[in-house]
Amino acid sequence: MTTFLQVLLNGLMLGGLFAIVAIGLTLIFGIVKVVNFAHGEFLMAGMFVTWLITTRLGLHPYASVIIVVPMMFLLGALTQRVLIQPLMSAEDDHVQIFATVGLSTAMINLALLIFGADIANTPNFGLRTPIEIGPVRVLSGQLYIFIAAIILVAALQLFLKNSQTGRAIRAVAQHRVAAELMGVNVPRIYILSFGLGAACVGLAAVLIAPLYPTSSNIGTYFVLTAFVVVVLGGLGSIPGAFFGALVIGLVDSLSGFYIGSDLREAVVFGIFLLILILKPSGLFGKRMTLSHLS
Amino acid sequence: MKLTKFLTSAAVGLALASPSFADVKFGSLYPISGPLALLGEESARGLELAVDEINAAGGIQGEQVVLERGDAVDNNQATGEARRLISLVGVKAIFGTYSSARVIAASQVSELAGVPYFELGAVADEVTGRGLTYLFRTNPTAANMGKDSIEMLANAIAPGLGKDPKDLKIGIIYEDSSYGTSVAGHQDAHAKDAGLNVVLKSGYPANTVDMSSLVLELREKGVDVVLQTSYQNDSVLFLQQANEAGYKPLAIIGGGGGYSMQPTADAVGHDVIEGVYDVDFTQFEVNQEATPGLDKFVEAYKAKYGTEPRSGHSLNNYVGAKAVLEALDKSEGFEPDQIVAAVKAIDVAEGTTAAGYGIKFDETNQNERASMMGMQWQDGKLVTVYPEGAAVAEMRFAE
Repeated sequence: MTTFLQVLLNGLMLGGLFAIVAIGLTLIFGIVKVVNFAHGEFLMAGMFVTWLITTRLGLHPYASVIIVVPMMFLLGALTQRVLIQPLMSAEDDHVQIFATVGLSTAMINLALLIFGADIANTPNFGLRTPIEIGPVRVLSGQLYIFIAAIILVAALQLFLKNSQTGRAIRAVAQHRVAAELMGVNVPRIYILSFGLGAACVGLAAVLIAPLYPTSSNIGTYFVLTAFVVVVLGGLGSIPGAFFGALVIGLVDSLSGFYIGSDLREAVVFGIFLLILILKPSGLFGKRMTLSHLS
Repeated sequence: MKLTKFLTSAAVGLALASPSFADVKFGSLYPISGPLALLGEESARGLELAVDEINAAGGIQGEQVVLERGDAVDNNQATGEARRLISLVGVKAIFGTYSSARVIAASQVSELAGVPYFELGAVADEVTGRGLTYLFRTNPTAANMGKDSIEMLANAIAPGLGKDPKDLKIGIIYEDSSYGTSVAGHQDAHAKDAGLNVVLKSGYPANTVDMSSLVLELREKGVDVVLQTSYQNDSVLFLQQANEAGYKPLAIIGGGGGYSMQPTADAVGHDVIEGVYDVDFTQFEVNQEATPGLDKFVEAYKAKYGTEPRSGHSLNNYVGAKAVLEALDKSEGFEPDQIVAAVKAIDVAEGTTAAGYGIKFDETNQNERASMMGMQWQDGKLVTVYPEGAAVAEMRFAE
């Protein structure tokens, strides 16, 4: 029983980890309608900066959030302005995908050039301390990630629902031409949204860096699961991404223990396919507003 | 008139001074850019040092050795560079390659061209054993890693723990690419031959971000000895998560990769990695009576590159290259068949090279005397503990 509870808890924590990585991705996809294949490398960049700040200045890794999040916002906004926006008018949408794939490769190799192939280890300042909850235990850093993911989802929802900018963002997401006719500055909203999504992954980077050694290819460890989570949650749905991440985390953990570590990816992707067949719009997707076809 | 004479004599002088007539060219094919560059470059340095040493002693067959570099950044480029070295540069043989995938690709080109290829560092089983005539390998392989880890467990660790090896429950975990899979397969086979009790054998993807369920499974099954074959991130992850889950097996034996690298110990914490065993290429904290010439190698390395060797890769490449070059000195010429005949005659005894192992090629052209050594993390340093002749420290055991 204890073991079962421990497996369950591990799964929830893993879900929280996947969620915090995936939220930025689903935000960008939902609004700008661009699949950002460089998302994992944004995470990697944020983790390297967190590592630099923590080791060079001796600060608590969480303190680097005041630098990393604005920096990632700028990086995201810049990516949209310089790389994606000129391609928005391309006849084929897929051009943008290839641009982000190119960005991903460039960033991985740039990191190799700057930081080398070795792992960079962010001091964990006690964030790897196990906390006992009854018979089971969880790492403090994992717990903070889980809580941060919930707060981030709630904050984004509030922002999108209630603020003027949030309404403009939703209008653009629903129908970009209609929003433009209503006087919304669409390119500006895109730049803002891309920046916002990148800032979310910046927050994820700060929280993850003390728990995982950083390397130039660390992004590839997370990004495939992040895509699965985004699709499972219903493309562009933020609460969907959160619950999708929990499902994947639990399935991963349970199948890893009860079926076998070598088969867990088969189980995760098997269930993923099954859900897509039964409910193609994802767990939380509306019956496809098809707004992205506009 | 005077000018012509001057020019003529200058030209003659240059021609005589230029070493190109008395040079023999070999290819040096390693990944020296891209993701494998760090250890590829480290491996290439071993070859360069062997060549420097041979040249300083008069070269081979009276000719100075010149290395022509190729960059095997990926499999396609490995074959492209092999082609360039053979047909454009006209090398008499190629040395390489660090990465198994690269040598498997590139050696197909050299085999067709009938140019000898000496592999000094790649570990996959498939490198030799494909029936190639001109491919030789000097370094220990996945098979050695599997065999040596089980032998160290049965002959040294179990007795030290005061246990019969057959009473220990063994868990084999491995990253599921061809590297981990082949080492784990050899471990499983050798353990079964020795009558040991393997209770769990499980692979996982190397880019996993969570190994907690695997840790729980090992604990539930009461595994006493964990054998892990892994890269760096998954080594760190496993050691951390096992520690945090309060899982303390009697012994953890890592296989190469991440387990031999100082950054791994720094990331995991020296107290957590204390006592963990590791089977890998010969490293530098080793008894030099078993590895004569090691200090000379380290000195030459520091003199040429200005730093300590960054891993054992350079050493293993140096040892293999030196043995091959010395054999070529005794050959009649540089025709492929003369080279093959010369290296087939190599018979270097164990305990006479700087890496400890001897060199003699078997019928698949694999060095049958190659072996790995057993190390242990003690007080934040990786020290050789097995076999006894090469040990610099006593093996420590869990209470």
